Amino acid sequence: MISAVGLSKQYGKTKAVDDLSFEVRTGVITGFLGPNGSGKSTTMRMIMGLDRPTAGKAFVNGKKCQELKWPLREVGALLEAKSIHPGRSARSHLVALAQTNSIPKARVEEVLDLVGLSQVASRKAGKFSLGMNQRLGIASALLGDPGVLLFDEPINGLDPEGIRWVRELLQALAKEGRTVFISSHLMSEMALTATDLVVIGRGKLIADTTVENFIDSNTVATVLVRSSDSSRLNEVLAGLGGSITAQDDGSLLVTKIDGTQIGDAALSSGIAIHELSPQQASLEEVFMELTSDSVDFHGTTDAKAAS
Amino acid sequence: MTVTHTQMPSTDHGHAGLAGETRSEWTKFRSVRSTWICLFIILLAGIGLSVLLTFIQAARWSQSSLQERATFDPVAFSQSGHFISQLVVGILGAMIITSEYSTGLIRTTLATVPKRYTVMAAKKIVIAVVILVIGEVTAFASFFAAQIILTAHGGTELPAGASIVTQVKSASIPVVTIMSPGVLQAVVLSGVYLVLLSILALGLGFIIRSTAGAISIYVGILLVLPIILNFFPSGFKNSVEPYMPSNLGIAMVVTTTRTTDWAGVLLTPWVAVLVLAIYAAVFLLAGLWFLQRRDA
Ligand SMILES: Nc1ncnc2c1ncn2[C@@H]1O[C@H](COP(=O)(O)OP(=O)(O)OP(=O)(O)O)[C@@H](O)[C@H]1O
Ligand SMILES: [Mg+2]
Repeated sequence: MISAVGLSKQYGKTKAVDDLSFEVRTGVITGFLGPNGSGKSTTMRMIMGLDRPTAGKAFVNGKKCQELKWPLREVGALLEAKSIHPGRSARSHLVALAQTNSIPKARVEEVLDLVGLSQVASRKAGKFSLGMNQRLGIASALLGDPGVLLFDEPINGLDPEGIRWVRELLQALAKEGRTVFISSHLMSEMALTATDLVVIGRGKLIADTTVENFIDSNTVATVLVRSSDSSRLNEVLAGLGGSITAQDDGSLLVTKIDGTQIGDAALSSGIAIHELSPQQASLEEVFMELTSDSVDFHGTTDAKAAS
Repeated sequence: MTVTHTQMPSTDHGHAGLAGETRSEWTKFRSVRSTWICLFIILLAGIGLSVLLTFIQAARWSQSSLQERATFDPVAFSQSGHFISQLVVGILGAMIITSEYSTGLIRTTLATVPKRYTVMAAKKIVIAVVILVIGEVTAFASFFAAQIILTAHGGTELPAGASIVTQVKSASIPVVTIMSPGVLQAVVLSGVYLVLLSILALGLGFIIRSTAGAISIYVGILLVLPIILNFFPSGFKNSVEPYMPSNLGIAMVVTTTRTTDWAGVLLTPWVAVLVLAIYAAVFLLAGLWFLQRRDA
């Protein structure tokens, strides 16, 4: 279990993390979502006891990280920046880590095997590809067989196959009853992997809920209708209290009333329905909507700005 | 798919501590090539330079001035390799921590132990033991090699209690054995000097964190500071000079001579050890202060 209580971090004038409180439960994957610069990595470093909070506390299994007796055996982390000496072999790197927490050498071979690096274990880590480095980072995190795992953008730089591998690994880890906390700035990725969500923007908590709840409570059910007479249907549905947006292609986007009401109203008014389909708002849109006020760096699509 | 087959030892007792961390630091230390290059340079250049300079000195003994003869110390001279090795041990001492900051490994390292000072203590143990071994090997090898060269050039052992005057008047270059008064101590302290410097550099590495920065400052302290001191009034210069780290090193290996050249410039050997140990401790404690407070 991971918990943060009033966690804050100030870098000079930047409030990177602002009074953040949340809990991460065991047995499921919890996504930690926020736009670039929202404070995800900073929060993870504070949980790991690497950065000192300006205020508040973070706990792993109810203890501060510095109070854990066998840190590697309780919490494993894959942090954002590479943290491997390029001149050292993957195996030596893991052996050195294992020795700190009395982890047997056999476990080193086991995790090398698990992440698929056994064949290249004696090669220098500096010669590794991005994906191999990521795998080595994951091997380090899993080395102590910890019950709590933190992964900061674990799929960054991975190819589709690598992404699927990480996703399945994380799901397996969660299923084994571990606490799995992964950060991402991609809502769509979280929708595929996570069960719970902690969403932040500019260091502040925006939502702490399940993915399902998050989507339900932030999307409005919309129905797309094509008909033989859209202008008349527009009037009829407006009369029923629907909120309607007419599209250029003659279809209507209707909210506030559902498909059944629309169909019944069309039938009684003698309008033929050609299409009636509920629209799934994409998670990315929901996320963008919610964090748009708190995105630090708005990109510009202005043609003039680009020239 | 993540099933653990390896039987993990129980976590009910004890905690991750200095023993495991030291083993880990030793693994890290010997698993990068730069370590072996540095150790090789200490050994080769340390002994090589001593041999070369002794050879030159012995060859031109007959032409050397009375002053030179009076200040010639067959022990201190045999340790001339310090010119190079004192720089390399500093690089090694600083790098075992600065390389962790530059690669980001420090984050992983600090997350393995409950207390950060364990990391510093483990690094200190590893560097001190390694430099002690390599430093003593270099010191003794240099010493014996130099005495062999001196003897080959007609050097003779001075009788016990022989004065400087005897040395000056002697036609042949002086040679000593390891059992001559003060010799064993001087050769041993030659290695100790390198150990203390490596610890000082380690402390500096913890403070500065960047390899280039730490090494620059280290070289500055060792080589540039004495030069700058020359620009100060002689009263100040004379009182500070004995405390320059490089002069402390000379004080540790000098045996026979307390003549005009070194008068007042050198502390006695054990005071020199004490002063350099204090410097090393100050740097290390400052490094610890930063380590405990700064974000990793
Ligand atoms: N060591 C530091 N010193 C100064 N400012 C920092 C430091 N680390 C982070 N920041 C600032 O804190 C804010 C949060 O950064 P952080 O890296 O935690 O964001 P993030 O959510 O991980 O972003 P990303 O998705 O880009 O990885 C940013 O404005 C960043 O510039
Ligand atoms: Mg980040």
